[in-house]
Amino acid sequence: MPGKPHAAEIHASGFLQLARASIALAFFVITASFCAAEGAVAIPHGTVALISQQRTIQPGHAIRLGLRFQLEKGWHVYWINPGDSGEPPRLEWHLPAGLRAGAIQWPAPNRLPIPPLMDYGYEGEVLLPVSIHISSTLATGRELTLAAEMKAIVCHDVCIPAKARLSLLLPVRGERPRESAEAAMFRAAHKDLPWPAPFSWKPAARDLGDSFELRVNTGHGAPGAWFAPLEPLQIENAAPQKNVTAATGLRLILKKSDQLLKPLARLRGVLVMPEGAYMIDAPVTSAPVKPIEKGAVR
Amino acid sequence: MKPGFIAVLAIILMGLSTAALAAKVGEPAPNFTATDSNGKTHSLAAYHGKFVVLEWHNQGCPYTQKHYNSGNMERLQKEWTQKGVVWLTVISSAPGTQGYVTADQENDYMRRMKAAPTAALLDPAGDLGHLYGAKTTPHMFIINPDGVLIYDGAIDDKPTSDAADIPTAHNYVSLALSEAMAGKPVSTPASRPYGCSVKYTH
Repeated sequence: MPGKPHAAEIHASGFLQLARASIALAFFVITASFCAAEGAVAIPHGTVALISQQRTIQPGHAIRLGLRFQLEKGWHVYWINPGDSGEPPRLEWHLPAGLRAGAIQWPAPNRLPIPPLMDYGYEGEVLLPVSIHISSTLATGRELTLAAEMKAIVCHDVCIPAKARLSLLLPVRGERPRESAEAAMFRAAHKDLPWPAPFSWKPAARDLGDSFELRVNTGHGAPGAWFAPLEPLQIENAAPQKNVTAATGLRLILKKSDQLLKPLARLRGVLVMPEGAYMIDAPVTSAPVKPIEKGAVR
Repeated sequence: MKPGFIAVLAIILMGLSTAALAAKVGEPAPNFTATDSNGKTHSLAAYHGKFVVLEWHNQGCPYTQKHYNSGNMERLQKEWTQKGVVWLTVISSAPGTQGYVTADQENDYMRRMKAAPTAALLDPAGDLGHLYGAKTTPHMFIINPDGVLIYDGAIDDKPTSDAADIPTAHNYVSLALSEAMAGKPVSTPASRPYGCSVKYTH
């Protein structure tokens, strides 16, 4: 049975990894008492760790934690919109009183084609930052455990569920926190987070019947640019995106999802370009369509 | 004609034919003929007058296992086939990929799991999968007695591989069948199917 032996294999390897993790890490993450040391927990085909950009917590000042995946070659986890299959990693926080976690900040995804499908996610290594808001009335002089239950699906051509309990021990101090040893990773990850689109870009979309025309006045063409939709069931993830460079910017022709049954008010997502990614929130109009200006089709 | 023009024309024609065939909610479901794990042939046209559920399946996929190991899928199959629904499990895994089974292996699996579909269709070439645009396992489709596709999407609203989420999930398939049988419009006719990618041949 091709299915069953595989399931057994999953359990066996999961158990071994768990055993290995138990020995090395005493089951949960052990952190050094002072610095925000990282402890990676084994998951199928990789590790996951909760790391901090700061060494200490200062009352009233947010800190930044990150969920760091390191996966074997060819394995991936997913973006907030995973595309045609899969699911994004999730965190359930267990934080002391006075601390509150923000949402995961998702770096621009990569396209993960599995013909005839298309997924969005991250292969190899990725850091998903999360801001932790700190109450200004938090007492100093003690150490706090910041913990989270992580659930994800790790996929290659097949998928394996992954779970981990992650934690960090951070002291609360009155002074401004120093950066941790992992701070450079956060700065690198920051570059991959989508930026708000400049106001002058005026993203707008038009309903062309079986596709949307997304226009963004970037002021220059953007060969290689593509649009990752934030919501499912809007565009066909696997359809090629025709990139038409116009004088004022770029136009992308996005094939509508077969599952889109109602007119769409807004097209939201991330415009991924070679120099960086931008958040796009484009109103959709069904105004009469002018012919697309002549230009280089990429 | 220039070769480039012919290529463009071919792509346009291919696009048209795909569009004409693709399954879309509110439109007639594409007809098909397929063979089940007992060698019996099933055609959609023969089930005119009945509700038909198509369930894409891969027994090695954690999302499929969520719904089978918990007994959720088997329960749904029993409940709805008892109410006259034709429930067709479809296996589109290509030979050598996860979830591919021979007819005997599938029959053995269904006995072991106490699965109760009307039949399990073997689609190793992926023809039926491509015809309906099946993306994940599971991916659910419902066809009404007039042959119109009335649901395309997930089994429920908890897109995880964790069986602990089943009790609090809203099952889209049961909801759509209940509404349609009561003569009401289907309140959620489409959702993002969640699961493993269907293991088509490459």
